[in-house]
Amino acid sequence: MIWIIREILALIAFSSAVVFGLGGLAGLFRFPDPYSRLQAGSLCGTTAVFSIFIGALLLASDTAVAARIVIIAIFFLMSAPTGSHIVARFTWNAGVYPWKPPKVRTGSARRRKKSRDSSEKRGGAE
Amino acid sequence: MRARREWSIIRFLLTALALFAVWLLFTASFELFSVAFGIVGSLLIAALTYDVFLAQHEANLRFFVPRPLYLIKFLLLLMFFLYQSSIVMLGSVITGNASPRIVHFRTRLRSDLARMVLANSITFTPGTITLDLNDDHLTVHWFFCNTSHAKAAGEAVKGRMETHIKRVWL
Repeated sequence: MIWIIREILALIAFSSAVVFGLGGLAGLFRFPDPYSRLQAGSLCGTTAVFSIFIGALLLASDTAVAARIVIIAIFFLMSAPTGSHIVARFTWNAGVYPWKPPKVRTGSARRRKKSRDSSEKRGGAE
Repeated sequence: MRARREWSIIRFLLTALALFAVWLLFTASFELFSVAFGIVGSLLIAALTYDVFLAQHEANLRFFVPRPLYLIKFLLLLMFFLYQSSIVMLGSVITGNASPRIVHFRTRLRSDLARMVLANSITFTPGTITLDLNDDHLTVHWFFCNTSHAKAAGEAVKGRMETHIKRVWL
């Protein structure tokens, strides 16, 4: 009985992993600039892999295996954001200015020009 | 000089202990040969790498030894935040609503480890990526930005995360 409940919960975890993975993939192709693509891809990818870890934890046969899965999950929680941070940091140092969706664009033209100038200056300094 | 040597010995022992704990977890056996090999190996590796694992300037045990109960609480909270922000991100992928912007703010955490953990947790929690961490100054790309005020942005992004990390490490 307990085993069936665990299998159902693991199935829910694996299905949510599929949903998050597909969503992250769609976001990777949907947004126009590197930062937003990285946001969608890394966040949903992390959640997908983490859901698979939770499913595996639910199906673990004994405590030793479960403890190993926990350790691997903690290492993954450290390494995944670090990887996306490194990509984002190199993009930032290369002077890429973040994308803004056209309908949310507010503020005067002067301010927009000023920020564009400062971003060019920063890009030149690197 | 004497304090420095004592601090080296403490760091060496802590490194060996951490390595041995991981060894026990991964082998999951208490045979004499396995345990003896684990002790020898962890002592050897700790002697070679303790200066990298625990830097000398982190001169307080609370800088890198977590308080276990608060650590577990923080990990559970992090899991909750991970799922919450992923669902928000899925909605944003479907509708295409976003207002990305780069914000700057500072943190009150003091140790390198706590700042690293804060930067990493910010990278996946409320749709943000840490672009740069320079001492206590964070540069963050925020996907659902609604303010450009540094303090308000800091409060919104760090949220309860910083207080929880402050309880785990210093």
